[in-house]
Amino acid sequence: MRIFLLCLTLALAPVSAHAAIVRLEMRPGIDASAEYLAGLRNKPAVLLLHGFLQTREFPTVATLARGLQDAGYPVLTPTLSLGIPNRAQSLACEAVHRHSLDEDVAEIARWVDWLKSHGHRSIVLIGHSFGSMQLLAYLAAGPSAAVKGYVGASLIEVQIGTTPRAALIAQLESRVQRRQRDLVTQHVSYCRKYRSTPEALLSYVRWDQARTLAALRQSPVNVKLVMGDADDMLGHGWLKALQHLQTPMAIVKGANHFMDGEHEFDLLEHTLKSMEPAQPPLPR
Amino acid sequence: MKWSESISIKQIALAFVTGLLVLVSLIGGFAAYQTRAVTRSLEQHNWEAAQSELASGVERLLAQTGDLANNLAHWDETRQQLVTPEYYTYWRDQRVYESGVLNSRFARAALYTRAGTLLAPSPEKSGLPSKLPVGLPLQQNASWLSNQAGSIALYHAFPVYSDERRQALLGHGLIRIDFMPALLRQAKFQFTDTPSVKLALEPGETLAASQLFSRLSFSARPDPDQLRFQTILSRTLLALFVLLVSAALLGFVAYNRLLIRPLGRLTQDIDAMQHGRFNHNPARSQPMRISELENIRRSLHDYQLQLRELHGSLEHQNREFHSQARQDALTGCHNRRAYEEDWEDFRRQLQAAPQGVAFLLFDCDRFKTINDTYGHAKGDRVLTIVADALVMALRANDRLYRLGGDEFATFLSHTTPAHAKQIAQRCQSLLEASVFSDLGISEPVGISIGIAFCAADQLAHLDELPKQADIAMYTAKQPGRNRIALYGEDTERAAQALVASRETSALFQALATPGMVELHYQPIHGLPGRKVAYYEALARIRYNGELIMPGAFLPVVSSRRLETEFDLAVLHQVDADLSSQQIPPGSGVSINLSAQSISRPEIVSHLLELSRHGTRHPLMLEITETSLITQMIEVRTYLDLLHTVNYRIAMDDFGTGYSPLRYLVDLPVDVVKFDISLVNKLGQDNRAGQVVADFARMMKDAGYALVAEGVETETVLQKVESLGFAHVQGYLLGRPAPLSQLAVQPGAAGLDAPPAPLDDDGSVFA
Repeated sequence: MRIFLLCLTLALAPVSAHAAIVRLEMRPGIDASAEYLAGLRNKPAVLLLHGFLQTREFPTVATLARGLQDAGYPVLTPTLSLGIPNRAQSLACEAVHRHSLDEDVAEIARWVDWLKSHGHRSIVLIGHSFGSMQLLAYLAAGPSAAVKGYVGASLIEVQIGTTPRAALIAQLESRVQRRQRDLVTQHVSYCRKYRSTPEALLSYVRWDQARTLAALRQSPVNVKLVMGDADDMLGHGWLKALQHLQTPMAIVKGANHFMDGEHEFDLLEHTLKSMEPAQPPLPR
Repeated sequence: MKWSESISIKQIALAFVTGLLVLVSLIGGFAAYQTRAVTRSLEQHNWEAAQSELASGVERLLAQTGDLANNLAHWDETRQQLVTPEYYTYWRDQRVYESGVLNSRFARAALYTRAGTLLAPSPEKSGLPSKLPVGLPLQQNASWLSNQAGSIALYHAFPVYSDERRQALLGHGLIRIDFMPALLRQAKFQFTDTPSVKLALEPGETLAASQLFSRLSFSARPDPDQLRFQTILSRTLLALFVLLVSAALLGFVAYNRLLIRPLGRLTQDIDAMQHGRFNHNPARSQPMRISELENIRRSLHDYQLQLRELHGSLEHQNREFHSQARQDALTGCHNRRAYEEDWEDFRRQLQAAPQGVAFLLFDCDRFKTINDTYGHAKGDRVLTIVADALVMALRANDRLYRLGGDEFATFLSHTTPAHAKQIAQRCQSLLEASVFSDLGISEPVGISIGIAFCAADQLAHLDELPKQADIAMYTAKQPGRNRIALYGEDTERAAQALVASRETSALFQALATPGMVELHYQPIHGLPGRKVAYYEALARIRYNGELIMPGAFLPVVSSRRLETEFDLAVLHQVDADLSSQQIPPGSGVSINLSAQSISRPEIVSHLLELSRHGTRHPLMLEITETSLITQMIEVRTYLDLLHTVNYRIAMDDFGTGYSPLRYLVDLPVDVVKFDISLVNKLGQDNRAGQVVADFARMMKDAGYALVAEGVETETVLQKVESLGFAHVQGYLLGRPAPLSQLAVQPGAAGLDAPPAPLDDDGSVFA
């Protein structure tokens, strides 16, 4: 732990007083990094998580992080390791995906802990796309008490294309049970040829729309969604399902899945609005 | 070749064309040399460019390899494999390629642990070592090349760290690239001949990448622009060369047509003119295109016309001269030159067509006398009339030749001896019919004709015809002949004498050897006492012990014109005999001389010297009347001189020669010796005898002392004596005897008594 603190110190010193790269050893030999943007002390810290196989450098995330920092929020933007030491690049769909949703949730917990260890008692989790789903999984697994809120932008369930999810899950479970380690190629999210171990893939496939909606409804912290009505990556009826759940949700007109362009400001605006203290507590 | 020798214009043209071609070749060679130099420079530049290009390619390849290594080293999935290498083969065989990190199948990648051990075995054909070479600097990149079974691979090893700060070494990566394909795929080499690029690396040998270029061999690719430039230049040079050669050849042809040929024609015309050959149709000569040559041709043409006219005139004159040269100017008949040429031609014709041939030789009788008597002008007229008569007498195709003086000749083909004689007689007949009285010549003009015949089968003796005709001529001219003699029939003796080598040899030997001429003395008796009055010295030739008589050698003397020499020999012998004192003292000696000798100064001198014997032996000169005295004045002068030294002059053989009366009138004759033909007439009791007798009395009355020759009978002797002849000579009274017998037995010669004094009773020496 002291090593990482040293890394943090070294990283912060030469760069800027407002930004630093934080590295944590998530598992043996697997380090992960995050960028920490310092903010006002009276503002809750934001843990901003990137989308599927992306990094913190993803434009939607990076822009939102700068916007939040500008608004005075301390922001930590980790890059999930996905089983790769010091991963700094978006991971290709065809790469060997040995990471599981559980490992992702564990890394989120580690970063929450890191914020807490750095004095942040109030933490808001903000995720984009698949990151929103992973944060939901974290919330479902029992978040830290410092986590006060959740903002999910372009929340998406784990899509598997046209493959019957039940059959896939059964197949994967079968492989796992038989300890078959051969890589499985499966349509996951935007990856048409996602290569993964059966066990790892199984951890994601189980998060279908129902489980995601359930996690929303059962979130222990305030939840807010920011969705674009022009998001063509969403599954059929997903927005209606969310609306039917009556989850606080801001729908940005004309925004696509990445909320790019002028919709970056809509995203930031809705995010900041959701983080205002005057806002009544989100229903649980 | 000497500079003084002239050279033809064709040689000049050829030399010019050759020089031009040589010049063109030199220029072409120089251009080719320059081109080659430029080409070499360009090739060097190309090679340097290729070297630079290849070096750049190598550097780029190494850089790209380094970039690949860098990409791999910083690739998340590389680190992933080093941490969790469960799916390393998938990464190695598929991910590195489909991700685009390795962009070529010629490149392979492998990962090694921190200890340098391969994460998982690689296929054998991959060429990736199971362990990294020992000694590699593990903390940094390293490149080397290795020859593996003939395939040269470029290896690039690199460290892989856990993060950018290189704090934790996860392992190593190795890239293997098939060097040559990768190098040659670097770029499109413009200057390097890619197939020629070779790396000198032994199998199994390892080479650091930094030393790579020193082992690299290559060739420069021919520069297309340079090749195009060379091609264009070569074609241009070739075209220029062909153009110049064609121009030179065309120029030569034009030069040949416009200058050489016309000049050649002019030269041929001039040469032809020089050798007397003229263009018979000069108007047909082609006009020349060069104006100067055309002027020369016209001038030459005009000159040729003039020259041809002149040549024609000269030819005409030549023919005239030739004709004149073969024609006798006086008589109009052919001359001796024509005779010689025609004789040669005739001889050649006879060899081809044998036939009977007769050669006729004509000689005008006593023409010299006529010439001297009547003058040369009339003598020439006589010759003309004789020639005309002979031409008229000859056959149409026969030619008459004047050989000289009054001598003419002809040769008759297709003839016989009889026919030749007929023609000869016709010649004489026509000449006798000719009139000479208009010329004031009253005496007859005749010709003697000698004929020689050669039968068709005896043409081998053809060359002897002129000589045989000459002998026949001699015979014809002999007194008593009918003036036509055919060799072989009429000239047997003469021919024998003439041609007998023995007599001829004897004569010449006698002339050269004193003493060979032997004198026999025939006594001449005085009348009426019949005593020996004097002796006539008669010449003989003693040859090899035999005595040759005058009848045998005198024709030779006459034909060889040796009268003077022979007479000198006789005089020498007379002098010797007189000096020997074997001739009875007081006895006179009569010496025979030819008429020709009388006019010779050496004869006269000798006679003057011989006159010293005159006191002991009175001397008499007998001149043959048949001999033609042509130099009458000189002969008279000499005879007068001899008279003063007591020589008596006798006219010998009176009655057989020509113009005897004239001789008697003009010459200081003391004694007249009647020829035997006249003396024999005295024995006849007829008019001839009476005429001779009357003539003898008339001569005696005129004061001449008369001698009768050839008295062989008593009747004649008595008649002669009765007519008053002073002396008589003949076998009846005495035969010729040698000197030795003359001294010992003077009477043996037929003499009845010793010789009487020469000056008694009005004898011939009175």
